[in-house]
Amino acid sequence: MYDLLHALAKWLEGTSWATVIRTTGIYPYIQLIHFSGLTVWLGTNTIVDLRILGLGQKRQTAAQLAEALLTWNWIAFSIVVLGGFLLFSGIGATYLVNAAFRVKLGIFVPLALIWHVVVQRKVRTWGRESETPGIAKLGALVEILLWLCVVTAAVEIPNY
Amino acid sequence: MWESLEHVGWVTVLANTGWMYVTVSVVHYFTLLFFIGTIVLVDLRILGIADRNQTISLLADQLLPWTWIGFALAMISGFLLFTTDAGDYAPDHVFQAKMLVILLAVVFTVVVQRGLRKWNQLPAVPASAKVIAAVSLMLWLGAILAGVDIAALSGLG
Repeated sequence: MYDLLHALAKWLEGTSWATVIRTTGIYPYIQLIHFSGLTVWLGTNTIVDLRILGLGQKRQTAAQLAEALLTWNWIAFSIVVLGGFLLFSGIGATYLVNAAFRVKLGIFVPLALIWHVVVQRKVRTWGRESETPGIAKLGALVEILLWLCVVTAAVEIPNY
Repeated sequence: MWESLEHVGWVTVLANTGWMYVTVSVVHYFTLLFFIGTIVLVDLRILGIADRNQTISLLADQLLPWTWIGFALAMISGFLLFTTDAGDYAPDHVFQAKMLVILLAVVFTVVVQRGLRKWNQLPAVPASAKVIAAVSLMLWLGAILAGVDIAALSGLG
């Protein structure tokens, strides 16, 4: 598995766009793409989770709010993936041996993502009434904690 | 003057305790991404790009109270990170530019927040409102770019 990923990372590093990302001053702008997507991605995720938890304004049910934010939730996710992929393609092989990066992309991102999809599907029934059931609140809390784990792993990348 | 801040007792503890510095960093990143996300959504709604199936007021009522809670947390955690290396951050031009951009972005966000109830009642969102929303959006993304550039250009953080 590692050999395959390493070969892929090495191939990516050799592509023309990766060379541009690595050798010109464009890197902060690629980071900006990743972070811009993350603002709306984490914003929409967390707003729905907070509503499920019963915090904040209650003019809409959690189900209505999740439905309203659904499109931009996934548009933002696509931007996050695009930016992340471009960041990775520049120096992928270096990231692959980084323990914090491995924990982030190998454990927490898949876990948080699966959890998010489950919450997003369940919220249609959980969030139909203004007051959500206890299991929904637990689900929402765990989602916030999982994304905090993702951010923690990301913050640790330069330290490894 | 700023340098002396680094030698305050609790600042040295924060700077030299790995888990504390990481925790404050995580709070800073998470809350800033979260609160900017809420502003971006409201701005995109005013621009007629996002979430057109609900009114501006309804969306703003759900999002903007959280915007300011997130902003407060990002400011507090940001200040804590600043104290650990204040002597280097304070004179750095990219850092100063970031503070200026954030100040302008806050002003535009307040203008958006104050104006949206009026814009919401009009048959169409006025062009001036769209310009204000677009400027707010660009300023917040500019603040992120400046933040990223502090590391890239000045090697701080």
